[in-house]
Amino acid sequence: MGYTAQITRANPTLIVFLLDQSGSMADPFGGEGSGRKADFVANAVNHALHDLVIRCTKTEEVRDYYHVAVVGYGRQVGIGLGGALAGMAVAPVSAVADNPARIESGYRRVPDGVGGYVETPVRYPIWVHAHAEGGTPMCRALGRAHEIIQGWLAQHPRGFPPTVLHLTDGESSDGDPTDAGQALMSLGTDDGRVLLFNCHVSSSRSRKVEYPVDESIIRDNFARTLFRISSVLPENFLGAAQQLGVPAAEGSRGFVFNADPSSVVQFYEIGTSLTGMPPHIWMGE
Amino acid sequence: MSNHCRVQVRHFILPKEGSGPEECEDAVAFDAGSLRFAVADGATEAFDARRWAARLAAEWVGAVRAPLTAEEFGPWLKEQGEWLQASWEGRKLSWYAEEKRRAGSFAAFVGLRLEAGGRGMSWRAVALGDSCLVQRRGGQLLNAFPLSEPGEFGTAPPLAPSSNGAREVALAKLVGREGHAEPGDTFLLMTDALSAWYFDASARRDPAAERFDSLLAASDNTALSELVRGERAAARLKDDDVAVLRIEVGSGQ
Repeated sequence: MGYTAQITRANPTLIVFLLDQSGSMADPFGGEGSGRKADFVANAVNHALHDLVIRCTKTEEVRDYYHVAVVGYGRQVGIGLGGALAGMAVAPVSAVADNPARIESGYRRVPDGVGGYVETPVRYPIWVHAHAEGGTPMCRALGRAHEIIQGWLAQHPRGFPPTVLHLTDGESSDGDPTDAGQALMSLGTDDGRVLLFNCHVSSSRSRKVEYPVDESIIRDNFARTLFRISSVLPENFLGAAQQLGVPAAEGSRGFVFNADPSSVVQFYEIGTSLTGMPPHIWMGE
Repeated sequence: MSNHCRVQVRHFILPKEGSGPEECEDAVAFDAGSLRFAVADGATEAFDARRWAARLAAEWVGAVRAPLTAEEFGPWLKEQGEWLQASWEGRKLSWYAEEKRRAGSFAAFVGLRLEAGGRGMSWRAVALGDSCLVQRRGGQLLNAFPLSEPGEFGTAPPLAPSSNGAREVALAKLVGREGHAEPGDTFLLMTDALSAWYFDASARRDPAAERFDSLLAASDNTALSELVRGERAAARLKDDDVAVLRIEVGSGQ
């Protein structure tokens, strides 16, 4: 059981974005022929952070239901949130909200209420920049996430456990990540173990595998390694996945292999859904 | 004898645990003279929900003509939304507050109008969302609307929006009802958590439902607060703001 604790300001939860920023992230997605994986993924993470902030906003106040950490790994391990948050291992979501590295402006079409649309100015905050350089030191990156989470758990032993959303495009260049992944998954709160979800993106056109229940359908050895360090999706995440039309069932692991761009977006949506409920339910603390 | 003597009105509001009255997003308004009563419940995650709920309840009660049909409610809601949006003009907001403001505010609403006529009164009500009206006669539940079962309370009820973009879709969910009230009948207008609890307690024949009504009739707010807190602690009542208006139809003419 577990994974049922209500997320409150007294007992917030932690989301760790673990991002592969190795040189190969400069390649395009398989079969897409457009854009670098690194740019797309940075965008997806910025979007996820944006949605987390909005979900915690009550009129003009951002409530700290979440804490956030970003760990990038490539040429080095630890490139995270930029701007005023640089150097902070974990930031409460209110600090994330108030300290984007920069804010871009644009326009969005919104309904005008009489059957048409109107162009409305909007602002897009940017926290994470795309990087693509160096190898894939996955063991060290998982170790860094472990340190961050262990420190955070000392202050937050109760409540919904931390979620790690790990995105990578290749095999580990510093050894088998199984031990580091399992060590991370052995940490937890009174409500359950740390959740580690893995999303693998590919530059090839290989068939994608989404949220599998067992590893027998997985042929690739590296994919099996990632499957084994992927947590089973708790019920509330499963609900969020099913709402998005994603093929997930009881026992599904939080794991996608050969993800295409839409799978990456869904991975972050599912991974940050937590309670699987709209904010007015869990904000009602 | 004036209308004032023809109804007895009681109300009770209690914010969720740990919140102060200034954080409560449930609102009640009534005018015992014009026999109009309203309860509204601002959506927690919406921008400026507390003011929106208070505005809707107060303005519905005070409108020259109570908006009871979709044709009347639509233009009235538009007017209220424009007032709210105008009140936000000129404020410099952070990017996230700006985004919440763009989505506007939302609230559930239920309004009741009574009209004297012969023996008893006729009534008409309008509702949008999961705040409910209950009519009781001789200890029996006679009418419940727009919801009447605890299982009907979902996580995404239709709500009255302040923005233009969302209004038409919401108005399609507006529901109205009318009926007759005998002397001695009571009406309860309640926000969602309390409504769901009341329907559940009534179905289980839990004496707490009757006790709630008696305490309300007696304006014993201290005992009412204890009852609500006890039901919350026992997880029979969701920990949410609660608001209720109780209207008892008198016998005097």
